[in-house]
Amino acid sequence: MLKRAAPLAGIGAGIAIPIALLAALEVAVGMGAVNRALVPAPSAVWTELVAIISRGKLWAPLGDTLSLMFTAYICASVLAVIVGVIMGRSRAAYNLLEPLVEVIRPLPKPALLPPLILFLGIGNEMKLVIVGLAVFFPVLINTIQGVRGVDPVLVDMARTFGYGPGRIATRIVLPAALPFIFTGLRISLGLGLILVVVAEMLAGTGGIGYLIVDMQRSFRVTSMYAWLFILAALGFALNFAFEWLERRLLFWSRQQEKGG
Amino acid sequence: MQRGCELTLNSVTKVYSPGTEAEVRALGNITLNVEPGEFLSVVGPSGCGKSTFLQIAAGLIGASGGQVALDGHKVNGPPEGLVYLFQQYTRSLMPWRTVLGNVEFAIEGHRMSRAERRDRCMNFLAMVGLQDFASRYPWQLSGGMQQRVAIARALAAEPRILLLDEPFSSVDALTRSDLHELVLRLWEERGFTAMLVTHDVDEAILLSDRIAVLSHRPSQIVETIPTELPRPRDRIATPELPAFLELRHYLLDQLTKRPAHA
Repeated sequence: MLKRAAPLAGIGAGIAIPIALLAALEVAVGMGAVNRALVPAPSAVWTELVAIISRGKLWAPLGDTLSLMFTAYICASVLAVIVGVIMGRSRAAYNLLEPLVEVIRPLPKPALLPPLILFLGIGNEMKLVIVGLAVFFPVLINTIQGVRGVDPVLVDMARTFGYGPGRIATRIVLPAALPFIFTGLRISLGLGLILVVVAEMLAGTGGIGYLIVDMQRSFRVTSMYAWLFILAALGFALNFAFEWLERRLLFWSRQQEKGG
Repeated sequence: MQRGCELTLNSVTKVYSPGTEAEVRALGNITLNVEPGEFLSVVGPSGCGKSTFLQIAAGLIGASGGQVALDGHKVNGPPEGLVYLFQQYTRSLMPWRTVLGNVEFAIEGHRMSRAERRDRCMNFLAMVGLQDFASRYPWQLSGGMQQRVAIARALAAEPRILLLDEPFSSVDALTRSDLHELVLRLWEERGFTAMLVTHDVDEAILLSDRIAVLSHRPSQIVETIPTELPRPRDRIATPELPAFLELRHYLLDQLTKRPAHA
């Protein structure tokens, strides 16, 4: 019992810190120690948050941000995995594409926003491209690494059972490289969320990023913090969902490591 | 049951990195004929290129010279009807598939219903005594059990020739003895041709009809010796026969008297 209780006690202590900070802030605002116009009381932010949700104003911006992000995330990831498998399996393809990758990859992607706005305007195309670019490279690099690490014994085994290069890629290489691919997907999930918010802030007409800037510009500070909280919760939920998916798909990878 | 097929190696040579300083002449000039349904073992000192030899026979790597043929058809890549049993069974099983899923991999290209494939593979799992472990994962099994999964998978492909690359070298002695018996029984039942590469002289004599002795690199076949021991073989009684001991003495003498590899 004691052993089982211990981790829970640890989590309890971790939650206690933010609660204590919020309580301190609440008291400070109540005493007038902090400028209420810039930092509203946590209770006021909470009331605003409840109001946003209960009046149904959450769904449209959330839907905007999520659909934009996932469209770009899924398309760029699928493309990166396909290109990564080809580059990982074919020396010729790697030599052909590697210099291009190394030129674009190190660029901080937000720096590409100004030229992209020139070419694509401030519509959804531009946002899809910038999020897609941010997502593409981590998935690509990790896929290449994973594909190169695939045990040649597995590939030879499939060859002796008559499997050709195409079926070896889908049945052997892809699943064997999946732990690496997921590492890339996890990095890209964080980057994708950052870029979608930045793009919305700069050139948005809806979405959570746009709202945070819009509320700040119109001095609706309480609302701004409420949307910030929503964004934090979204990031937490996405990460949680990702870990659940990873546990379900890669159970064999972790078990194998444990077994030695 | 279809018969085993004939494997012919004609003046096969293999040179790695030819024309460079790192040039290695792995195989000298190997000519060998494995008869249909025969069990032939290749023994040789470690590092003599036994695995290279087997991989060339399987069409996994190309020879530098000479020809490999299966029933008279030239081997350019892994041919149909040939299955290779790897030494590293842990690495040849897919950890993301169940035991049954690994066996089914052997015949997923074949035209048959899912149920039919499943039944067939369950039969082969039963043959190696693993029918109760079908839904486990390879990493949940012991080393000997994993190699039995690999054997069941090899059999599911209905091979006409089975190449065994030291498949019993990394399990404990008792498990090895069990696997010897299993392979002997399956070979007798199913009539495929078998070629085993090993450094274990006892194993080679117990299982084989003939034994080919390889020299140090660049390897050549020094001699081919028929074992002339009665079948069916018994893993306990056969090694006690005077003819077994005599052959064992001779082979060990041959393998140890050669100069140590530089």
